[in-house]
Amino acid sequence: MAREKFITDYRQDMRIIRTRPQRVWAIIITVVLIALPFLLNNGWTPPLNFPWVAWLTVLNLSLTAIIGAAAFNLLVGNTGQVSLAHAGLLIFGTIISGLFGPLFGWNFWVVLPLTMITGALAGVVIALPALRLKGLYLLLATLGIYYFAYFVYKWFLVRNFGFIPIIYSFPTVPEWFPWLNEGEGGLAINNNFRWYWTILPITALSLLFMSNVIRTSEGRAFAAVKARDTASSLVGVSPVKSKLLVFMVSSAFVSMSGALQSYFLSAREEASYPFQTTLDYAIMIVLGGFSSILGAVFGALFFYGAPVWIDWIRQETPVLRDINFLYSYKSEINLAVFGFLIVFVLVRSPDGLSGAWKRVKSYFAKWPYSL
Amino acid sequence: MERFITLLASGLSLGAVYALVSLGFVLVFKSTRVLNLAMGEFLMIGTYIGYFLITHLGLNFIPALLIVAAVMGSLGLFVHYGVMRNLVGRPFFAIVLVTIGIAIIIRGIILVVAGPIERPRMQGLSSSIVNIGGAQVEMYNFIILGTALLLVLGFYLFFRSSRLGLHMRAVAENLQASSAMGISPDRIYALAWFISLAMAGAGGVFFGHYTAAIDLNIAAIGIRAAPAAIVGGLDSVEGAIVGGLIVGTLEQMGAGYFGADYRDIIPFLILTIMLYVKPAGLFGSPELVRI
Repeated sequence: MAREKFITDYRQDMRIIRTRPQRVWAIIITVVLIALPFLLNNGWTPPLNFPWVAWLTVLNLSLTAIIGAAAFNLLVGNTGQVSLAHAGLLIFGTIISGLFGPLFGWNFWVVLPLTMITGALAGVVIALPALRLKGLYLLLATLGIYYFAYFVYKWFLVRNFGFIPIIYSFPTVPEWFPWLNEGEGGLAINNNFRWYWTILPITALSLLFMSNVIRTSEGRAFAAVKARDTASSLVGVSPVKSKLLVFMVSSAFVSMSGALQSYFLSAREEASYPFQTTLDYAIMIVLGGFSSILGAVFGALFFYGAPVWIDWIRQETPVLRDINFLYSYKSEINLAVFGFLIVFVLVRSPDGLSGAWKRVKSYFAKWPYSL
Repeated sequence: MERFITLLASGLSLGAVYALVSLGFVLVFKSTRVLNLAMGEFLMIGTYIGYFLITHLGLNFIPALLIVAAVMGSLGLFVHYGVMRNLVGRPFFAIVLVTIGIAIIIRGIILVVAGPIERPRMQGLSSSIVNIGGAQVEMYNFIILGTALLLVLGFYLFFRSSRLGLHMRAVAENLQASSAMGISPDRIYALAWFISLAMAGAGGVFFGHYTAAIDLNIAAIGIRAAPAAIVGGLDSVEGAIVGGLIVGTLEQMGAGYFGADYRDIIPFLILTIMLYVKPAGLFGSPELVRI
């Protein structure tokens, strides 16, 4: 009776895709991800002026943010190192990419790994307080990192660009992809459709890497450090090593996603990183759900998708459309709605959207008995 | 020398505002173990209400201050009974994130109600010039410093000698034992939130006289007061005023001598150094952690 449902050895238990429904889901998601840009890009106008084309931008932004949110979740959710340094690291990635990209003229495909390497090094520096402090004090210690990074960012901007923004030129597809060549210098990635195919593999590889990190012995060490770091050292885990490692991995990916987002948005200025950025990623992982990659995905999609959705509902509902107040304050109202959702989710359903998704799944899986 | 005195005076009055805000931090943290990162936003509400009362309705300073403190205190009761009470016993990061959520709500609401435009500072206090050693210092600096010191002294005495203060200290020290002795922790927590937000409101009214312009950026004061609370010790009332004055003065001096760009990072430099040297702060008690 070897049903697939039963897990009979550890190798099976550690697979990313373990059961048949998961395999089905993986296939569905892959098909949707491949079909989506073609559907969104074919000039079709859906009924009720649904903002069809805007979704490609939303998707691209979410895909870049997913990397950052998943890395943040790895740090906070899986290892319990509460840090608010990720906005600082996004700035760091922007500084490094601005320095080597627009200023030195290096290729996008070289700059991107470079931001990861330098981000990992920056992670070591940020990890230093984590070796000494935990919990609340760590949170307060990392609060300042945003301000330090912003200080350097302003200095960097004024020194090298004056008061104009950093302008990133469009990256090109490397020339060793012969079928994607468009005359001289390779194919420029200059529209949302092409960006989607650039960002999607990067995001997918990053997520695969992070979920693999969680499955290794290092990942289990992270969980042990989260549970009790002093006690974990008694069972052979080195908390110092784990903390340094998790900060390095997380910082590398956050810094890279900062650079990627800068290239995608193609201009970054002083006002691009308000203090709000720190809170944005907190919104994502809270609404998505802690300690799961799925949570980061849901959170980032919701964070960028919900405003478009709310906007569309407001424009197409007869009564709401005429209220001028709602139109002139749309972003402020979105902000307040997000704040309300955070409080509501944390008070009522602490595991966020991914937890709600799991409950829906188990409701249907156990259907006749879950009524 | 004149420059030094001017900077010292404005630094001390900025420090007095920090002291009030960090007293608000300390009160809530000491009794409920909640770090309220929305403090700056609460202070901002205080500033806006104060601006409305003083500049639009033409109220005097003292009644405006009392009204703001009462309104903000009631908001504190609402925050406790509406939100925080449901979160007792949850991991601290979840609670910190809830306060961040509250901060985001407040930002959204203030943007809708008041808009992003800058407003001039309030004129409820005397700004006549006092001459000290050749330096010209506006009168309101001394009023802010004096009132803040009085308030902190008042709270110090309240905690030491009044019955309610004793109850608050008891709950902070041992929750189970104090509730076994007939103190209701719920009411003590509510009181802590009441006083804390009233402090934030008062700090907001003071800061509205001090700041160059009233807009959403003044919420940064709440974040910059966190270093003040750490320097003094997160659970120490007398530490709040010392930490506030140290951070405020150093920040103002740094901004005056090195340039305004340094204003944001100086409190966090102090914070980083303090967390390395003495995480418990000057007057705080070291945290005991279970292995």
